[in-house]
Amino acid sequence: MKKIIVDNLKYRYPSAQELALKGISLEIEKGQFIGVIGPNGAGKSTLCQALVGLVPHFYHGAYGGSVVVDGLEVLKSEISALALKVGLVFQNPFTQVTGAKLTVYDEVAFGLENMGLDRAEMIERIDRALTLLDIYRYKDRNPFDLSGGQMQRLAIASIIAMKPQIIVLDEPTSQLDPQGSEEVFKAVDKLKSEGMTLVMVEHKIEKIAEYADKVALLSGGELVDFDRPIRVFSRPDLERYGVAAPVYTRICRDLKIKDEKTGLYPITLEGAVAAVGSLE
Amino acid sequence: MKREGMWSLKLSTAALVLIPVAIGINYIGKFFAELLRLPLWLDSIGTALASMLAGPIVGALSGAINNIIYGLTVSPISFVYAITSVAIGLTVGIMAYKGWISNLWKAIVMGLVVGLVAAVVSTPINIGFWGGQTGNVWGDALYAFLLAHNYPVWLASFLDEIVVDIPDKVATIVVAFAIFKGLPKGLISLFGGGKKIEKL
Amino acid sequence: METLSLYVDRDSPVHRVDPISKLLYILAATAIPIILPSLLTAAVVLAISVALLLLGRIFRRVIPLISVIVFVLLTILIIQGLFRAGNVTPLFQLGSLIFYREGLLYAVRISLRVINIMLAFAILILTTKPSDLFETLVRKGLSPRIGYVLSSVLQIIPQMQNTVGTITDAQRSRGMETEGSLAVRLRAFIPLIGPVVMSSLTQTRERSIALEVRGFSAKGKKSFLNEEIQEPYHRFIRWGLLLSIILALVWRVAA
Repeated sequence: MKKIIVDNLKYRYPSAQELALKGISLEIEKGQFIGVIGPNGAGKSTLCQALVGLVPHFYHGAYGGSVVVDGLEVLKSEISALALKVGLVFQNPFTQVTGAKLTVYDEVAFGLENMGLDRAEMIERIDRALTLLDIYRYKDRNPFDLSGGQMQRLAIASIIAMKPQIIVLDEPTSQLDPQGSEEVFKAVDKLKSEGMTLVMVEHKIEKIAEYADKVALLSGGELVDFDRPIRVFSRPDLERYGVAAPVYTRICRDLKIKDEKTGLYPITLEGAVAAVGSLE
Repeated sequence: MKREGMWSLKLSTAALVLIPVAIGINYIGKFFAELLRLPLWLDSIGTALASMLAGPIVGALSGAINNIIYGLTVSPISFVYAITSVAIGLTVGIMAYKGWISNLWKAIVMGLVVGLVAAVVSTPINIGFWGGQTGNVWGDALYAFLLAHNYPVWLASFLDEIVVDIPDKVATIVVAFAIFKGLPKGLISLFGGGKKIEKL
Repeated sequence: METLSLYVDRDSPVHRVDPISKLLYILAATAIPIILPSLLTAAVVLAISVALLLLGRIFRRVIPLISVIVFVLLTILIIQGLFRAGNVTPLFQLGSLIFYREGLLYAVRISLRVINIMLAFAILILTTKPSDLFETLVRKGLSPRIGYVLSSVLQIIPQMQNTVGTITDAQRSRGMETEGSLAVRLRAFIPLIGPVVMSSLTQTRERSIALEVRGFSAKGKKSFLNEEIQEPYHRFIRWGLLLSIILALVWRVAA
């Protein structure tokens, strides 16, 4: 079942001369985990924002092509309607805290109050979201008193409480320390096992290799490749797009060790160990 | 790109998020003025900046909420002067929309106008609330002097207020102008409302 | 994490009254002395306010609030007592300065009015959590978006104030002068305030996005996580206060 259909998406920001997205087309199935990689300025964040309707409804500017998310056409829908289908988590944990609520618990309620849910439903959803992100014990703390990793998990909890079936994460760990990053990846793992459709922009390429069903490689506003990770990371021109292949891939490439079945270089630790093991 | 008039009541989310930041800038301006022992209040820089970025309605709201919050959390007297803050926000918003922030000289003129407006609006409040004084030492000294020499109350009160307001508001607008000119274009377009989506 | 608030966390009969009643009390305490301008009215209202403050066990907290304006009220007393136009009846003399009855009376009236208003506000401010006040206003019809703005100011400002300390130290360590002549100090103002403003404004875009994807602009009725506390006697108090204002108007017109 196609959850997201992007058809020849073009976009230019209001004060810009160049197109940020130059005609992107791709389709995402239900339950897939899509990694998005590419150099800075490639349009990855713009694509993320186009999936939730911020492009074009928040920025305005110039828009072409179409994006259909779970049956809703983005151009013709409101951001608040799309928010029920697809959620967005981005880099800065601090700016994702509304600032209007005094406790973590109330903070998660913010989106649900906007949706007009009744109290019993809200409480059930908040409890579930806080537990899933393992931050229930902080429920009475002030959101600004949390660590980076905790704050980012709060942002994710606030989004999933609204029960979208798709979540877009735009570099969710780039402003976190190693421990915070680990906490967030653990959370992402859990979301994946819950069957959510996930789109994640990440520079930590090993994580993409670990989670993704498919990888979208963007550069200069164009979709260079959209395929299984093992194929994308085996591209010889990967470095030209400002992306370093996973360390296991690079090691295997330099040692010329290929995966037996696919004939491509392994991308995870397990794959590399298996490939080396099969050399005997 | 079509731009809605400055009186649009449709406040975008960005404009609303700007308001607490504008009030924070008001507080911080006042803090630095005290830290540097400057003889000025400099407590409306945020309001002025909000008006320049997002128009008179947002500026007026920033001013009003500034006084409401200050009134709730520091000194209830601020509630009474909320109208003055609103007037400042409206004045800067209207003049900025009409192009009075295109260069430093125009900004200084705008500062003079804002100082005048603030004095005109505050004086009836001063007179009605506590007989014409402002609470400022120098202004009130002038007021006492004028009163002793049989000048009418409204004039003494007005001069009391304007002696403080003109330098303060000119400095405020100049600082807000300097900051505004230093902002990246993307930020400025974020707050200007009423734009349409072009078709590619 | 500090939030801006003068709220004193106690349990008292005054604390338990709803915010709208306290707002109405401010209206009554301000309007009635204006409708019936006599020293007696002002004194009675003052006494009621003091009684409420004592009942709320927050009387001592009012002193710092009031002391700020006491100095101004003293200057008003002196200036009006000495120089007010229409001063004809001398009351007493200090050296060569003659204090007149009319001016002093006028100043006393002003002082009573100012203190009355301050005390009425203090009752609201010291016994009401700002978040409760704002939520009540939204329930009564204030736009939830404005309600958000009011609530967020209380935490965003301390956040911004925290960054100020860091930036000031950084600027000073770069050799920026903050002491010296007026010109030096004036020149230091923009480099000090500039960075804070920049970083705060950049954050507004991200926070706007975060709000949007959580349905901030959704049309339709919003709901509340907190349960509304409705005591029957609240309505009694509110109508009582409104009635007192109407009665004052009637008295004024009839007399």
